[in-house]
Formats: sequence, C-alpha cells, structure tokens
Amino acid sequence: MNDPDDLHELTGLYALGALRGEEHARFEAHLEVCERCRAEVRSFSPVVESLSRAGAVVEPPLALRARVVPGGGNRAVVRDLRPSPTLAWLAAAASVVLTIGVGWYAAQLHARIDDLEARLAAANFRAGAAERQTADARQAADRAQDMLGVLSAPDMARVDLKGQGAAAAAAGRAFWSRSRGLVFTATNLPALPAGKVYQLWVVTPTAPVSAGLLHPDDQGRVTTVAQTDPAISPVAMAVTLEPEGGVPSPTGDKYLIGMVAP
Amino acid sequence: MRTEDRDADARAIHKVAAGDQAAMAELYDRHGRLVYSLALRILDDQADAEDIVQEVFSQAWSQAGRHDVARGSVGAWLLMMTRSRAIDRLRSRRGQVDPVPFAEGAALQLADLSPSQEAMASTAEQVARVRDALSRLPLLQRLSVELAFYEGLSHSEIAERLEQPLGTVKTRIRLALMKLREALGEGKMA
Repeated sequence: MNDPDDLHELTGLYALGALRGEEHARFEAHLEVCERCRAEVRSFSPVVESLSRAGAVVEPPLALRARVVPGGGNRAVVRDLRPSPTLAWLAAAASVVLTIGVGWYAAQLHARIDDLEARLAAANFRAGAAERQTADARQAADRAQDMLGVLSAPDMARVDLKGQGAAAAAAGRAFWSRSRGLVFTATNLPALPAGKVYQLWVVTPTAPVSAGLLHPDDQGRVTTVAQTDPAISPVAMAVTLEPEGGVPSPTGDKYLIGMVAP
Repeated sequence: MRTEDRDADARAIHKVAAGDQAAMAELYDRHGRLVYSLALRILDDQADAEDIVQEVFSQAWSQAGRHDVARGSVGAWLLMMTRSRAIDRLRSRRGQVDPVPFAEGAALQLADLSPSQEAMASTAEQVARVRDALSRLPLLQRLSVELAFYEGLSHSEIAERLEQPLGTVKTRIRLALMKLREALGEGKMA
C-alpha cells in the first residue's frame, strides 16, 4: 500500500492515532531506526494535546463530581473559600481597632469596599467577555460538528461543481448526506458586485431548493453547512448570482454547476 | 497551563497514588471540565460523556502510581485517556471494533517519544492559536485532521470518506500538523 520511501510521511497519521494493524506495526518498527521521524512525532505531541483542548468548554453537571470523587473530596472547594490574605489582615486590624481609633478603621473599610466594588465591576466585565467568547467557540464547534456529521455519514455522496461562463476558474465541491445535510465549499469565485450575493441551490426533479447564501472571502473561497430536507432527492447542485438577501427561486446567472450521480 | 498548576498536579497525582481522595477531588476540579468537554465533543451525548469522565478518573485513580510526571503533564495524560476511551466508544457505537492504538501506543510505549515538559506546557493562548490555525487550514486538510482526531477514523477510512488517495491523506495530515505546530510555536515566543 505504501512505498517504503514514504514511511517518513506517516508521522502525522501516527501522532493522531490513525494508523491501524500492519501499517501501524510497520511504522513503529520504522520509528525504532529513524531518529528524524521520532523527532517529528515528538514535535507533534503538543499539537495533539492542543487539539484535545481546542473545543468549546462545557461545564459538566454538578452531580458528576460526586460520581467521580466518592465520599470526602470537598477540600478543594473549601480551600477556594478561605479568606484572602488581605481579609485576614483586615480581621487582625479589627482586633486592634480600639487602640488605634474607630475613625481610622472606618476609613480603611471604605477604601476596602471601594476596592472590592471596582474588582467586582472588572470581574463582571471579564465574565461578560468570557461568556461571549464561549458562545462564539460553541457556535464554531457546533458548525464543525455539523460538518463532521455530514462527512462521517454512511450515506455521504460527493458532488463536484464546475465553474461556468464568467466564473470558469471557480470550482466547488459538495458533500451531501440525506440524513445529515450538506457541506459545500468553493474556490476562485469572482468578487461579488455591490448589491449581489451568491446563492446555493439543491436542484430536485421538481424545482431548485435554496441551501443558503454564500459570501466568499477576498480570495473567492467559501465554506458552508446547510440542513437539507431528507425527503428531497437532488439531481444537481448549482450556485447563482442573485440580489442581496437571496431569492425564493433562481433568477441570475449560473456560476457553478454539478450533477449528482444517480 | 500555568507552572504552579503543573507542580500542584504533580503533588496531587503523587497523593492520589497513595489513596488520597481529596487529591482526587483537586484533580477533578482542575481538569474535570476539559475532560468532560472533550468527551462531549467526540461523543455528542451527555450521558456517554459523563460515563467517559467517570472511567477516565477511575483509571487515573488506579494507575496514578504509574504516571511519570517527568514525561508529560497530568492534564495531557487525562486528555489522552479521554480521547482514547471516547473514540473506542464511538467506534463500537458504529460497529467498528478494531482498537485504536493511541493512548498506550503512541506516547507511552516508546519512551523517548514524549516531548519535554516545556514543550507540553500549552497555554490557553497557544490553544487559541491552534484553534485559529485549524479554522484557517484548507478544508480538506482540516477535515482530514478532524476525522482522525475527533471521529477516530483510520488512514484508509479517511481516504475512503473524502474520496482521496491514501498518499494524499497522508501528506495532507502531515502538512496540517506542521502548520498547527508552527502556530503553536508562534504562541510560545509571544
């Protein structure tokens, strides 16, 4: 299956745990004698670790802690609730307050309250920002999950789309699964004229059905994930140029077309 | 991850090996969220993800004495077990039964394959850089990496799924990891 000269290229698959059986055994034997590959696999470890931390962070249910840590085990939480050194110092100050004077102590408390309020405001601000970041990450993760869902679907079919007319250099590829939806990607689409947008169509024997609007980046690339009705049977996919906001059925020039294999 | 957390982890895992439940709680409080998040990301099912978390910490409890902190962080070890167990469950759900040679194979058996402590210390900023770099990869490179890592597909399964030759998948994944490694490196210098 592999040219022995290509064994060096297997480092990435090995680091991701994607080698199986004989291929895995052959590469491990190769690692024994190839310092270069050992170094490369080692250099990929932090990447693999980062991948396992790269998804959206989701708070586990509270009850899970009790399942994982039977009995005891509350110390870590209690520790976090212990008074900070500053508070401990204030408590100590309070014990000598009578000798120093109530006025001084009240001033200290006011300063302390102002400080705490400022910290609370800052913490609230940070929490708001973190929440937004988490929501963004969650959204990106959901989109990636949808994409992988389509790609790993047992009924996935691939459709290649060819550029037409003004977009001869453009190309598109759709991965369609009846059960899970559509992943579409295109490259080299011409820049959008003002007031226009690209629209993706799933063409059925009866009519084209819109699968969403496409806004390519400045290099003409775009990727989108769309839900499709499991009841429809596409015969083709197409991209047209339409007025901003999209239209219920295609009116503009066709930029990409691909037939779905029967 | 911060250095003080890593030191605290090393102390905690030592105590866990001696049967200290409070140290176990400490590890859970520090890593439970990430372990759960990864399991949920792979399995997309809350009950399954919870089972995996329980299994991983139970494995950590029984194997704490075997963990060598000089060879990698406790967090990386927990995440590696999580990924491996979650993928095994995902594959058995799909009816694929060949075991994935990952956790015990890739990093543990071959002693000198583990990176240095310093190399493993990925900070939140570096993870953000890798996430960003991943989203900027060409689609098929990115999907190849994700199908391998999060879906547990093998070399030939990825090739079949993306209708690409085996050699192309191999090259694409290696290139993708090199780009991600570069992104991680930039993070380190910052």
